[in-house]
Amino acid sequence: MDIFIYGLVTGSILLICALGFSMTLKTEGFINVAHGQMLMLGAYFTLGLTYIGLPFLIAAFLSVLLCGVTGLAFQRILFKPIKSNGILVQLFTSVGLAYLINGLVGAIAGKRMLSFDIPISRVVKVGDVYLVTPYEFMILGIVLATVIFLHIFLQYTIMGKHIRAVADNQDLAKIRGINPDRCSDLVWFIASSLAGLGGIFLGILGAVHLNMGWQQIVMILSVTVLGGLGSIYGVMLAGLLLGFAMEFGLLFVSSNYRTAIAFGVIILVLVIRPEGLQSLWQSKGRET
Amino acid sequence: MEGFLIFAISILTLAFVYVILCLALNIECGVAGMWDLGIVSYFGVGAYSYAIIVAPEAASYQHYLFGLESNPIYGIVLAIILGGVSAYLIGLPSLRLRREYFLITTIAFSEVLRITFSNENWLTNGVAGIYNIEQPLKSYFSPDNYIVLLFVIFLCFSVIVYKMVNKLSFSTYGLSLKALRENEALAKTARIEPSKQYHSVYVFTGCLAGFSGALYVWLNTLIVPTQFTPNVTFFVWTALIIGGIGNNRGAFLGAIFFVILLETLSFLNLSAELALVVSSLRIALVGLALILILRYLPNGLLREKPTVL
Repeated sequence: MDIFIYGLVTGSILLICALGFSMTLKTEGFINVAHGQMLMLGAYFTLGLTYIGLPFLIAAFLSVLLCGVTGLAFQRILFKPIKSNGILVQLFTSVGLAYLINGLVGAIAGKRMLSFDIPISRVVKVGDVYLVTPYEFMILGIVLATVIFLHIFLQYTIMGKHIRAVADNQDLAKIRGINPDRCSDLVWFIASSLAGLGGIFLGILGAVHLNMGWQQIVMILSVTVLGGLGSIYGVMLAGLLLGFAMEFGLLFVSSNYRTAIAFGVIILVLVIRPEGLQSLWQSKGRET
Repeated sequence: MEGFLIFAISILTLAFVYVILCLALNIECGVAGMWDLGIVSYFGVGAYSYAIIVAPEAASYQHYLFGLESNPIYGIVLAIILGGVSAYLIGLPSLRLRREYFLITTIAFSEVLRITFSNENWLTNGVAGIYNIEQPLKSYFSPDNYIVLLFVIFLCFSVIVYKMVNKLSFSTYGLSLKALRENEALAKTARIEPSKQYHSVYVFTGCLAGFSGALYVWLNTLIVPTQFTPNVTFFVWTALIIGGIGNNRGAFLGAIFFVILLETLSFLNLSAELALVVSSLRIALVGLALILILRYLPNGLLREKPTVL
């Protein structure tokens, strides 16, 4: 039972981290390596804001917004001007950006492991079963709310429909009078705020350190590819699946191999089904 | 010898290791157009093969296999062979995939390998790593002269690899790879078989990366798993992009430029606290350089030469 819950928590954090990444991949068409650093930035923003005296929840909320604005700024300053230069140029600009963010944060905050100043919580006990800590419970709730919100936003609002249209076919969307730049801006804002949120979750459950972005981006990449590139719902499923796989795998191998299990799963799935999980419900494969 | 000169020479010696790695990546990714984010795998395999052959027998508090303390040449040969073999094996499943899918599978394999290196204590002494691996020929020279000797040897190695890769990328074989990169369907009609060509170039890259891994351990005299994170892959890619992807001379220059950029700031004599800040800032500097070069010179310092028959 606890394995199930751990899997759920690990999976939903992965899901939140990968959702934003997957959205930029879908609309902008390139792999944004700096997304991992946005996670770290979210955690460090929160740390900085609590340091100057704000209560934790307010600091967390503000840093999610701050991350969104920072992401928007990156889109305007860095990525929009080079959009016509191809995927590899955009990909490596984001690698450069990742180094830049990582270096600057390291210079300001130092390389020590840090953690949020929140009280240690105890596991809630229901009957005879130990369930989750309140923090984990809160995280699950927020993740669920975010996913539902995102689903409603993308499926039922005008802006959401525009974003999906641009993601499917930018030229056709333009002909219909949709402004792709505005959609890009919005996607960057949402994606970066989601990254910030994911980073804060990681910080709550573990520690805040300089390498968290690099560690996570590899996992995020895996989740995204496993879900089928850029498919939002595929990513959700893949995140949960990997979360469970990592926790259940621990029954068989030592905990040092936790992430290796995840990569093993990815390799296996890709070799059997190169289109990712998405292909389970979409029979026609699309050329990327 | 003067301190600065020694410093400059040892930086360049390190740069030559990266040059070989960068050239290997260039023939695979620049010429053949594959998106490989796992080159660190073969670099690591080569490094560990060399280490367990050359290192002395494991002391009581250490654990690693072999420790033959044998001739470094065997170590280098084994590094090349095992680099190639591991590339062959990893290529079997992953080469069926393309672009993003290939990219993620290779990076996943490199992480699995790194995690294995740090956990299989019987083979690699785990996270503690292997130390004091003796440098070949060291006893015959004074320390100062040895630094110069190492510089010359590594320079020769990287020039040889450069000549080889250059020859290969303008041979019929190299042209067939370029054809695959530009238009796979069209290349097939010219009787170029994608899976065979891709697999062979992948193994070749593995051999070269294994070789540079062996040189890396030779230079550093120690090996720990944290040396083989995906960071190495990104560093080599960055060097290649800076130099100009597809151009071998660009790969050579890019690697040297990159290592100089990364290491120069470490020469400054700073207090421990400031040194930490500077070590972070130089990562930021590399990032900034990459962004600016891609913005204003999207083809890198030297662009790919058009092939003329």
